[in-house]
Amino acid sequence: MKLSKDGWGGLAVLAASFALFSLTFELKPNPLVPIGPGFYPRAVLALTALFAAALVTLDLLRAKAERSPGPAANYAAVALHFAVFGLYVAALPWIGFRIATFAYVAATNALMDRPQAARGWLRVALVALATVLVTYFAFERYLLVLLPRGRWTDF
Amino acid sequence: MYELLAAGIVNVVQVKYLLPLFLGTLAGVIGGALPGVTITMTIIVVLPFTFSLDPLQGLAAMTGVYVGGSAGGLVTAVLLGIPGSPSAIATTFDGHALARRGEPGRAVWLGIWASFFGGLLGGIVLIAATGPLAAIALQFGPWEFFSLFVLALSMVAGLAESSLLKGLVSGCLGLIVTVLGTDPVMGQDRLTLGIPFVRGGIDFLPVLIGVFAFSQVMGEIERRGGAAPIAEAGARTLRLAVSHSKVIWEIVSRPFQLMWYALVGVLIGVLPAIGGSAASMMAYDQAKKISPRPEAFGKGAPEGIIASEASNNANVGGSLVTIMAFGIPGDAVTAVMLGALTIHGIQSGPLFISQNAQLAYGIFAAYLLAHPLMVLILAVGARWMLRVVTVPKAALFPVVLVLCAIGAYALNNTMSNVYVLLAFGVLGYAMAKLGFPLAPFILGVILGDQIEINLVRSLMTDSNLWLFVTRPISALLLAMAVASIVLSIWQHRRMQEKAAAAEGAADF
Repeated sequence: MKLSKDGWGGLAVLAASFALFSLTFELKPNPLVPIGPGFYPRAVLALTALFAAALVTLDLLRAKAERSPGPAANYAAVALHFAVFGLYVAALPWIGFRIATFAYVAATNALMDRPQAARGWLRVALVALATVLVTYFAFERYLLVLLPRGRWTDF
Repeated sequence: MYELLAAGIVNVVQVKYLLPLFLGTLAGVIGGALPGVTITMTIIVVLPFTFSLDPLQGLAAMTGVYVGGSAGGLVTAVLLGIPGSPSAIATTFDGHALARRGEPGRAVWLGIWASFFGGLLGGIVLIAATGPLAAIALQFGPWEFFSLFVLALSMVAGLAESSLLKGLVSGCLGLIVTVLGTDPVMGQDRLTLGIPFVRGGIDFLPVLIGVFAFSQVMGEIERRGGAAPIAEAGARTLRLAVSHSKVIWEIVSRPFQLMWYALVGVLIGVLPAIGGSAASMMAYDQAKKISPRPEAFGKGAPEGIIASEASNNANVGGSLVTIMAFGIPGDAVTAVMLGALTIHGIQSGPLFISQNAQLAYGIFAAYLLAHPLMVLILAVGARWMLRVVTVPKAALFPVVLVLCAIGAYALNNTMSNVYVLLAFGVLGYAMAKLGFPLAPFILGVILGDQIEINLVRSLMTDSNLWLFVTRPISALLLAMAVASIVLSIWQHRRMQEKAAAAEGAADF
């Protein structure tokens, strides 16, 4: 018997529910109230595990129809864009909003639509610069919303 | 009520409120017109701009986004045949056909004016129903609130297109997010997973932004990459001039149909997580059924455009009713609005309208005023919308994600919310890929604390569990929750049988 993505999803949720449920045994009951801090999480996790188990079981019992392959999804591009955003998030507290955002917008823009000539690179740089300037002035100067400062750059 | 509404209108026409309302409506119209950019994404982008505004300014901007976004999709739907938002899909059927028959101005303006009238009818229901519904909710004890929240979650899970079980799992995952961090009753640490910033609990806004923004942006990247513009701008030389009195008469000369389409929209809006696309499709279907010329539908029937757009905008009024009367968001857009209220320290729920009458009636006024602003923006900018859709996604998407990061960071000026944004962005994308609906998850995150507080409060008041089914309102709400799940199972079975029958017929 082979699991479909429903079954795999259900299994992942089931595993996470069991892992978290085991952690609830570390929670000590509070002597001041009859219902301790573990009561509700246990109820929710048990319910989640029940539904996830039902999802896996139904998936195992269901006859799988042959699926025609849909349009190929570009998962490599998705992984790359998540990685670039992750780098951006990691860089923000070290080099600050302005430099990190310029680099992030330029990199993402270039990855999504690779520039073919100098004009293309100029467009990428201008979009990144405009994003930084507009967001910085709109938030920091006009809306008084503070943006991340860099520990290395001090701005 | 009328004095408060008049005061609200007088308040909102001041420049300091009118400007954010106008800018919000403009952003909504543009976001709605861009295929692949939803109203949810637009309101997420607008959210950080509202942090430093006063509550009414921020909520006026968001109301504008909602109203503008619901109508914005019609221009590209009619002129290019590409619905800017899912709620404009039904408009494409007859709107684009009418435009291709040589009447693009009539098609666009039928949609705009139908949105206007439908939206105002939805507004009447919003204003008339919110107060009485909130007054009913004020009679609720913890048993009734618990049952009400369970009903909302079960309805959302049951209405998920993929499967009921996946909807229920998704809702439970949302509830799990709320058990991480702190016990809301005694403030005791629990399930912090060893992560210091989880100790205070997880804010729902970065979760919501991460889940919705990343699932949409990454979904687009996965499908098409970013090089292509959102759509090719054609039809730039079209003349959209039209006799407005004739178009308006074409709509208001069928008052009962118009009211019926608006009612469909409002009712769908009141039900959590169904959305404008279902409202417009259902109203379109109704229009076809009651029309003496059903064969004209799909070939440029004006009733098709009127039904779709009137219902779609009335849906906004319905969605606002549930959030203002019960504090339960009907969809992701109202969930963000709920988040904006929380940021300003305002508690949503049945007491909202009585404790914040000025703000509540200000929102009503903003809703009403957003409609003429939407007409004005589309009158001036309909042609420009066709140019806006040529913006390449490569330029648009990084900017959207930067604004998401700002929105998360600015909540309390710490990076922890940005980490939460990224983590839930990955989770949201994974859930979308595995076919788990996102709406029940978000509702679980929003209602989790309230469900726990009301459950614990009711059990601490009286440990008798039978009270949940012996108190009449609580029993009714729980019965409705069970009925919604049973109905969902029945509907799912019926669809499977129909599909099997169709397959069998095809074999022969």
